[in-house]
Amino acid sequence: MRKTFLLLGLGLQPLLGQHLLTYNNRPLGSIEEPLVMSTYLPDPGLDAAVFARHHSSAPAPKYNPGKGEDVPGEEKPIPAIAAAYAVSFGPALAYTFDSTECRPLYAWQGGFLDMTSYWGDEKRGSRVSFDYIPRLVGNLFYKTSGPHPVSIGGKSVEELGGPVYVGYTLLKGVPRFEFKAGNHLVSVTMRPSKKEQSFDAEVTCEPPAPIAWKDGDFSAEGNGKLAFTYTGKTLGTYQGYKLKIDLRKANVQAGETLYNSYGCIACHSLDGSKGHGPSLGGLADEMVELEGDARPVKADREYLLESIKTPNAKIAKGYPPNYMPPFGIPDVEYDSLILFIQSLSKPE
Amino acid sequence: MNTTSGERLNREITRNPRNLKGMEEDLKTANGREWTRIPERDRVHVLKKGTDHRNSFFNWLFPFASIRVHSRLKLPTEAPSRSASTSSVRFPALSRHFAVKLFSALTLTLAVSPAAEFDECYKIEDIKLPEGVPPEVGGIDFAPDGSIFVVLRRGDVIKAAPTSDAKAFDWQPFASGFHNGCGIDAVSATKIRITQMADMIEVEDSDKDGKADRYTRFAAGWDLSGNYHETNTLTKDGKGGYFISIGTASHAGPTFEHVLGEYSAAGRRGRNYASVKWKGWILHTDAQGKVTPVASGFRMANGIYQDPDNNLWAGDNQGDWKAITPLYHVEQGNFYGHPSSLAWDPAWAGKDPLATYRNDLDAYNKARTKAAVEMPNKEINRSAGEPMELPRNGSFGPFAGQLLVPDNNGERISRVMLEKVNGKFQGAVTQFIQNHGLRSGNHRLRFSPDGKQLYVGQTVRGWGSPAEGLQRITWKGGVPFDIESFKITKKGFTLTFTKDLPDKLKEKKAWEFSSFTVQPKWTYGSDQENERKHEVAEFKVSSKRSVEVELEDFAAGKIYKMELPKDVKSGDDKSPLQNRLAYYTANELPK
Repeated sequence: MRKTFLLLGLGLQPLLGQHLLTYNNRPLGSIEEPLVMSTYLPDPGLDAAVFARHHSSAPAPKYNPGKGEDVPGEEKPIPAIAAAYAVSFGPALAYTFDSTECRPLYAWQGGFLDMTSYWGDEKRGSRVSFDYIPRLVGNLFYKTSGPHPVSIGGKSVEELGGPVYVGYTLLKGVPRFEFKAGNHLVSVTMRPSKKEQSFDAEVTCEPPAPIAWKDGDFSAEGNGKLAFTYTGKTLGTYQGYKLKIDLRKANVQAGETLYNSYGCIACHSLDGSKGHGPSLGGLADEMVELEGDARPVKADREYLLESIKTPNAKIAKGYPPNYMPPFGIPDVEYDSLILFIQSLSKPE
Repeated sequence: MNTTSGERLNREITRNPRNLKGMEEDLKTANGREWTRIPERDRVHVLKKGTDHRNSFFNWLFPFASIRVHSRLKLPTEAPSRSASTSSVRFPALSRHFAVKLFSALTLTLAVSPAAEFDECYKIEDIKLPEGVPPEVGGIDFAPDGSIFVVLRRGDVIKAAPTSDAKAFDWQPFASGFHNGCGIDAVSATKIRITQMADMIEVEDSDKDGKADRYTRFAAGWDLSGNYHETNTLTKDGKGGYFISIGTASHAGPTFEHVLGEYSAAGRRGRNYASVKWKGWILHTDAQGKVTPVASGFRMANGIYQDPDNNLWAGDNQGDWKAITPLYHVEQGNFYGHPSSLAWDPAWAGKDPLATYRNDLDAYNKARTKAAVEMPNKEINRSAGEPMELPRNGSFGPFAGQLLVPDNNGERISRVMLEKVNGKFQGAVTQFIQNHGLRSGNHRLRFSPDGKQLYVGQTVRGWGSPAEGLQRITWKGGVPFDIESFKITKKGFTLTFTKDLPDKLKEKKAWEFSSFTVQPKWTYGSDQENERKHEVAEFKVSSKRSVEVELEDFAAGKIYKMELPKDVKSGDDKSPLQNRLAYYTANELPK
């Protein structure tokens, strides 16, 4: 599908007989040419024991950049995977391999990732969203749990002094991930299975030794090499990234959500602190000085609307022109953003 | 080339304007070079206020904006001599009126621009990247075989052999799958190394089919908290290893529950933070991938560069603890001003560096190493990209050996004139190129292997309008009228220009200096403080191209601003002055 999208999208681009990522935020590999991507990834509720080689963060005091001080409240960490590879064989199979834990984390079918919240929407200016975590698309059927699944000669990977990530090799496009467990080089290769909600896996160790795979209730054994088919059942269904905003009529809450999702927050603070654009806190109905010779104007509804719709019509003093993109959004969204700005009190 | 032929032709035109046939013959053989005529459509240049150049800077760069009719002689493609005054053909006696007359009277026109306008000096081209692909350029590099590799931020790496036609690069996919790859070293035509969020990967096309098949971890250990802001980039150390700069996390993004590496609550404070190692540090990795810390105190050094003398340079981005845009000379063990990174300095174990320095700026100022050059963010550079030295052999024209600093947030590349004063680097900054079709988003620079073209990689995501892609700047042989050097003396400055000073600049009253200081602190950027004017106490024209100024109350610890008058043209060939604003960071006065 990735290929199809490209060929459709590019028409006659002979130089692109192969795959490149496009503005399509739902990239997809194929069985012939799997897609491998390193990215932040969602955590669909994995067992904490899986993160043995990660460290735990903690809630941090809420910081007010306008005051330069901590304020009451906490910033809570969010569940997500920092450094894993996501592999797509198309709708047939997707899975993730974590390069810190050196093991597959979960697998799903029917789609891959929706990157909108990381890559942003092509049509929406700055292409940014707040959480930078892609969303899953499809049916999750496998989640790992417990300690590392591999043992060699009866010893766990930890006991052998591992795992330490090495890298991967593409074999006809299919990644074979490798890590070290002591003196052993272990490889893990996963492919789509002919069965539903399943994947085929091959695990090797070099130099060869008795090797076992144990993940929850599932286990397999071999000597220097083992192969198995894992079959699971639906653990969750995911549709990708979608904003849930009530836009039947303009409202403050929708304005706040849009302010976050369109990335306004990256440049416009709410608390009076300086950013790439003017702070929005207490802006409404204040007089605004402009670049050039123009007289100060009142930040009334008309001014706010113009500033969002055609951001370069008037430039607030001290800020660069041609910086903010015009967004081209429905009127109800403009109105919601204005209501949100008007709801903000002047920072102390 | 020398101007003899040109001057002779000039006299020829003046004497006998109708003798154009013979002139063309002369031109063809001038200096034995084959001259290329500019196509007819290029002959009429209309410089009009507010055309494509929406930026107000255009107007002060071209205050003379007017209609100009001229035809130009294009230099052959090989670089001519570096000599400033002799590298363009000059016909100073030719009036516009005369030119128009010639133009209308004869099909063959040879009205000539006498001055080195920007277009005589540099050409900026958009390199066409594959259609439909977001041109978010994370990094660029040339392999030893001359092919260029581009890593795009969604993860793909594309490769092409550069062509003279900027639209005709035959881009081929080489590798894919990187997480926000922003540093790249093209080791060979089949092997590259890339820094991505969590680690540095060596990528090889081992079966030589044109596409990479082997992805091996080369170095790791800078950890990751799960924040979008923690990007990194590299420069080669000259010994098979690299220096790598690691960005801090932003309060506008999250921290994950499970982070890579140890977590520090003290590091997770403030606006931009370092909750895991080694955010806000510059690291070194040797050729075996062994990573060691070098220096702390960076916020977002999106660009790091080791020059041919092995000096290490890094810029930063104005923000918390970065008053304006700094350029640092990076040395082992120093602290460059952003406190969060100190959470990972063993000397700060158990302490809260952010709170400590927030409350004690005196201690902070004693601890930090100041920028070698401060670049006012509005006037000069809003966000420093990767520094790059102009080729010392002059293959790229004037200003050889000076440092360029791209602005990731402005349509400009700044030019830094460094000198060592009392053993420490400091110097002046002005612009190299501003506007003229240069996009914003500039953050990666590489010269082509022959040193004749400068490639500029651009990206902006989530930070203003997308301004992105790949552009190429070619030196066309002309020498712009500009500040060539700006040096400090015990009582003021010595300035040298690329061309002869006009009478206007030989007068003391033309020279305006002021100064200010900046105090980095927790705020996002800091205002300029202690602003004041400095009268020119002594003024001397020391040569055709140089002046010496002594200023009232001249002292160290200030940033001096020099603003030259508008409408200045060089005394010799009437070339317009390209930049009238420059800043000198006077950390030291010469002893």
